[in-house]
Amino acid sequence: MADTETLLQAWAERASTDDEAWAHTVPGPSLDAVTARLASVPRDFLDERVSLPALFGDILPAVAAPACLAFADDARVRTGAAIALWLVAADDLIEPLDPPLNTARAGVAVDALALRVASVVDPATWLVDDERRVEAARTFLLWDGLRPAGEDAATARALLDACDSLARDRAMAAAYEGHRHRAEIARRLQEARQREAAARYSAE
Amino acid sequence: MGDPDLAGALALEEYRPGASAVLADVERWPTASSSDLDRLRHWRTHPDAPAWTHATGDRLTAAQTVRVRMPLPLEGWLDAHLAAARNTLRYRDVPALDTLADFPTVTRADLAADIAAFVPLDADLDRMVHGTSSGSTGAALQIPDDVEDVARTFHLLRDLASRLGVRIEPDRGRMVLANLVHQREAFTYVSLVSSFAHTVMARVNLHPASWPDAASRRRFLAEADPQILSGHPTSLEAACDLRDVLHPKVAFSSAMELSAPLRARIEDALQCPVIDLYGLHETRPIAWRPDAGPFRVLERRVLVELLDADGCAVPDGEVGEITVTAGENLLLPLVRYRTGDFARRVPEGLADLEGRAHVVFRAADGRRVPSVDLTQQLQAHGALGWLVAQDAAGAVRARIVGGDTTAIDAALRALLGGEVRVEQIGTLAALGEGKPRRYTTERGPLG
Repeated sequence: MADTETLLQAWAERASTDDEAWAHTVPGPSLDAVTARLASVPRDFLDERVSLPALFGDILPAVAAPACLAFADDARVRTGAAIALWLVAADDLIEPLDPPLNTARAGVAVDALALRVASVVDPATWLVDDERRVEAARTFLLWDGLRPAGEDAATARALLDACDSLARDRAMAAAYEGHRHRAEIARRLQEARQREAAARYSAE
Repeated sequence: MGDPDLAGALALEEYRPGASAVLADVERWPTASSSDLDRLRHWRTHPDAPAWTHATGDRLTAAQTVRVRMPLPLEGWLDAHLAAARNTLRYRDVPALDTLADFPTVTRADLAADIAAFVPLDADLDRMVHGTSSGSTGAALQIPDDVEDVARTFHLLRDLASRLGVRIEPDRGRMVLANLVHQREAFTYVSLVSSFAHTVMARVNLHPASWPDAASRRRFLAEADPQILSGHPTSLEAACDLRDVLHPKVAFSSAMELSAPLRARIEDALQCPVIDLYGLHETRPIAWRPDAGPFRVLERRVLVELLDADGCAVPDGEVGEITVTAGENLLLPLVRYRTGDFARRVPEGLADLEGRAHVVFRAADGRRVPSVDLTQQLQAHGALGWLVAQDAAGAVRARIVGGDTTAIDAALRALLGGEVRVEQIGTLAALGEGKPRRYTTERGPLG
């Protein structure tokens, strides 16, 4: 089993910033519709004998493999990812949400549940605890490029922040902030390198 | 250099023409007019121009062009600086960092290990431009530079010149500045100084291999006739050979030690004052001197301590390691950064500054090869540290830590010819105590 910090680090290196994610959200389905789907995960999806890479390949064959597959032997990651994949699969197996989920971004949303949320809160609780289920639903929608119907970005962000389990664990939140910062600086340096240096006036 | 295989050994991908040029001119100089860009084009496409390897600008918005003309205010800067440092991963969990003296010292190795830990958590990363510090203690370092700080350096140079009575004013008939290099391969470009009437500056490689022919180099530089020259001592020395076509008002030497005889030679040849600027990429400029006397610490957001190995201040007059608290780059608020350079504090400033070794090797065919050429190759091939020594007969022995031994061997042979021996040693510690003299040559005299 991977330790929590390792999973959070993998998420930090994989995800864009929260600011960017919120800036790109568009209105999505109602929160109730998503939480109802979360509460009705079929047993097959929770069966540990089902291969996570195979499940992912069946449901999202055209999407690049998510980072969480590297930790597929971790029970939290496996269950968190499988529940996220159920949300995607249900659009076909039951009926599409209105508006439908964004399949092209679903890989990031799967990672968000598997690495960021499941590393801090046992995914089993998403099925039985209303607040944790709301946290999972809101997190999935954000990283799928959506916000709950009827909410603007500021409202949706405040409501997710209010139920963010990671933020309540001060030590883990601080460690996560460090991983996010390092990942962001590495990304910015790489971008800056690709975007040219600035003209210089003396030898250094 | 007749062997094409050896020549190939020196090819550095980052210097391939245009390799890193990705922006449009409107992004490089957002405030430039069409006539400004026409002047730029003139120098880019000049029939005698060297083969420009790069394109880059200052990227300043209109508001930034105004801000960078003035130095950052000094009132209360240290308190704000320490507060910014406390808001980094490096220090946020360290208790009782109340005053400067409470902060532990840090080194280049700390930056190399985790540069992000020194960037404030609330830093405005949209201001970041990429910088690479070759440094003088080993592996290259990726630095998050602040676009305004980089641009402000031009105005620092202008201000220092004015203290010697030298006035630099926009003159669209001349380049305002030429940052000279004399290397086999180098980043070169033409740029506009957006905060100075969009005058033209260039980074110019004086190395003959960069030019169509020697006559082109003379014609180009005669027409450009830059008001300010800047560069390593090596490149300024090379500029002395062009004394009849260059008429600079002032020259700035930096990055390496400028000896008193070389300063006198440059001043005599170019008929202008020479200012020696001391600083590191990661700290920004620290001190300057207009003569062969002590360095004067700049009146900027910089604070210099001279410390012993235990971190204690040495008494005035005794040699200590230059340790800098540097606040000009808001993206990298360094506190008590050990530079690896040493000096004595005297009433005027810093005397006997030691550490910026200026070494010129002699190739087997007699060519002069500045140590910076070797640094480029050693770093490009991954070496973390090295000692390169040339004996009186010209044989070269390189002791390296890490890197591609075969490629480094080939590169040194191509640069220097003759007998070259490269050997791996285990660790940086094996290079010796303190800051190693990384380059030595007993083959001389040069002249």
